[in-house]
Amino acid sequence: MIPLTVIGGFLGTGKTTLVNHLLVSARKRWGVLVNDFGAINVDAALIAAQDGQTMALTNGCVCCSLGDDLGDALAAIAMRQPEHVVVEASGVSDPWKIAQLALIEPGFALEPLVVLVDTAAFLAQLDDRWIADTVARQLSFAEIIVLNKCDQASAETIAAVRARVQRLRPEAALIEAIDAALPETALSFAPGPRPVASRFHVEAIGHDFPTYALSADVPFDRDRLRAVLSDLPRSVLRIKGKCFLGAEAASVLLQYAAERWAFTAAPAGLQPALVVIGTPELPAQSDLVAQFRAATLG
Amino acid sequence: MSDKPQVTVFAARRIVTLDPSLPIATHVAVRDGKVLATGGVELATQFGGRLDDRFINNVIVPGFIEGHGHATDGLMWRSPYVGFFPRTAPTGQQAGGFKSIAEVIAHLRQVEVAMSDPNQPLVAWGFDPIYFDGPRMTVADLDQISATRMVVVAHVSGHILNVNTKVLDKAGFSPDSNLDGLVRDSQGRLTGELQGPAVMGRANRATGDGGLMRVLDVPGLRDYGRIAQRVGVTTSTDLANALTPENVFALRAATSEADFPIRLVPAMRAREYSVEDGLARIAELKALTTDKLRFGLVKLVVDGSIQGFTARLRWPGYHNGAQNGLWYVAPGELEAIVTAYHGAGHQLHIHTNGDEASELATEMVGRAIAAHPRQDHRHTLQHCQMADSAIFRRMKTFGMCVNLFANHIFYWGEQHAALTMGPSRVRHLDACATALACGVPLAIHSDTPVTPVDPRFTMWCAVNRISSTGRVLGEHERITPLQALHAVTLGAAYTLKLDHLAGSIEVGKFADFAVLDDDPLTVDPITIKDIPVVATVMGGQVFTAS
Repeated sequence: MIPLTVIGGFLGTGKTTLVNHLLVSARKRWGVLVNDFGAINVDAALIAAQDGQTMALTNGCVCCSLGDDLGDALAAIAMRQPEHVVVEASGVSDPWKIAQLALIEPGFALEPLVVLVDTAAFLAQLDDRWIADTVARQLSFAEIIVLNKCDQASAETIAAVRARVQRLRPEAALIEAIDAALPETALSFAPGPRPVASRFHVEAIGHDFPTYALSADVPFDRDRLRAVLSDLPRSVLRIKGKCFLGAEAASVLLQYAAERWAFTAAPAGLQPALVVIGTPELPAQSDLVAQFRAATLG
Repeated sequence: MSDKPQVTVFAARRIVTLDPSLPIATHVAVRDGKVLATGGVELATQFGGRLDDRFINNVIVPGFIEGHGHATDGLMWRSPYVGFFPRTAPTGQQAGGFKSIAEVIAHLRQVEVAMSDPNQPLVAWGFDPIYFDGPRMTVADLDQISATRMVVVAHVSGHILNVNTKVLDKAGFSPDSNLDGLVRDSQGRLTGELQGPAVMGRANRATGDGGLMRVLDVPGLRDYGRIAQRVGVTTSTDLANALTPENVFALRAATSEADFPIRLVPAMRAREYSVEDGLARIAELKALTTDKLRFGLVKLVVDGSIQGFTARLRWPGYHNGAQNGLWYVAPGELEAIVTAYHGAGHQLHIHTNGDEASELATEMVGRAIAAHPRQDHRHTLQHCQMADSAIFRRMKTFGMCVNLFANHIFYWGEQHAALTMGPSRVRHLDACATALACGVPLAIHSDTPVTPVDPRFTMWCAVNRISSTGRVLGEHERITPLQALHAVTLGAAYTLKLDHLAGSIEVGKFADFAVLDDDPLTVDPITIKDIPVVATVMGGQVFTAS
């Protein structure tokens, strides 16, 4: 499965800067889906081929227009075999709506929903009669919130923005940044090597996501599993993996994110097990094991 | 060819000209497709013309102008129509009028049996369950039509699809999944009802070409021309067209056919282009304008729809407590786009449904005018359904026009009273009287295919304000039959900058008429929608309505 990260945030928060930065300084073959293809700004020398709404770079990255349908765009970019896909949500959309659609793409694993904030403008935006609710709603399901443009905000403002953001979305991990320069590891749940702190990384990395696996060898009862999934606390950010459903033991891939989930056909060769990723408040492994076991058949 | 151009003099029982110098006439002389003279019986001999008295028992009014329609209406009819209200197909036959889910299913089973290709999806449109009592349509209902063929029933509101199991499978929606927009029953299973663009888009992708994503073509435009002509329309907008080379080719080909019965005024969807490219495109297209195809309008969409809960509302928000809609374009971006097109001298038609969207668009037009003072821009808010008098007063100050969605009062007025606006705000839903009282130039529209194009019906809605249950919603917002006739002729022409060419029967203007069996200004107003259309005349050419 290809890791997939959705990046949201209001206009001017630095999404396109982040994408440009990823493409230019890539250490992986990124596949990037963007709303405004024209805003992508890479050195002509780095462009290997460009054809309509697709741009291939010499470093192996590829950038495509998101178009009207996420599924179409993901199918097209998957053909290019990227190592990790990033989807840039439009500045007025609710990125969570886009992210949850990725749950039904069997070839992709949904990584944290990353939402950028313009730290210098954020407090004024929350007071703006026309955009306050849009900006706040974009944070509602964010898992990593990037306080960008910290160089343009005073320490006092940064502290105030942190407080407001934490009140709006206590489950998210916060990262401070300048010029949307993030370590690539910030786009994954998977813990990576801590990057060397630099002037771009005000706080290089500040997110830890406890992770553990649950066995899933015994088929689940559909209704009881649904009840378990419906009642999970918000500290459970993701569950993904192969399990079996119903008396017929249908082999399925479950992807769960924030009170929403999808079952799709399990890819061949995957071993049954559910990987749980959460915030530091994630329930103890033994509690979740007990809940899921109670939903099994027999 | 004779040296002297042919003059035809049409005689009628009565001609309502909307020309203040002669409001009522009995004869109109036509030459070169234009009105040469209006008056009485003396015209029959004055110009040595040929007298055409086939309309001697009828009433001629200016040809109707649909100020907000979509030519994609002409494409819809390749799919079965399953609406609650009967609707006229391009062939002139009545379709739909199904009064229960069982009737819809029975009809679609017949359609399915007649389909030869087993892989072709069956996509029906116009479903309107808000008028049905009892349970909603389910996946089991649609599985009765076919278990092997994809079946989709699109709701007329445009915001919901019902699909069968085959589509759920193809789209990857497992019955055990739980995503926003997938409706589930009390047992937690999917009902096959898909709400919102995200999940609907996925289903449309699964059904592919057989779905509702067709591209406008010449046969589709011909069909739209027939639909519109039959109800007295001589000019229609196509108010959201990407205007790709393919679209423009089809528009030019269809409108250049000698028997194409209407003039078309497409609006360029600005968001298909960067601002720079859009400005270049619209300038290039203006040069292609003909008498029957006029380019120049630019369309912007600010919010969604009220009944889809995607419109932007001011306090107190949705009556049922639903979350406010999201902007389709950020306020700052809107200002930049409006300013750019305004500054370059173009005319904007801006879709705003909720009152907050109307307020925002008005503000941004005001800022654009401050930056680039310019008279007679006639930027028009389209739908503008919840504007109050304060918004209309500002629109008047800025020289803006409005095109109100009068048909909503009948089709969704009760929904708005119960769910979206509540009993107070629904009184000024599509507030025609307030717009006129504030001095805002007024047009009214159908948004076809959302509701059927039929200016008689649109007039009827604005004059009577009767909902689908038969009660009056907002009696003080009713307008007179003359005001309503003006709104579907000269008023609409004004919003399209066509009032010097169309919208009234005056010397020098296009000879575009709607020929009716009776006079909409003198019949009982409750019967305006039922006055038969006898024919249209477009550029002096007669098109019968049958």
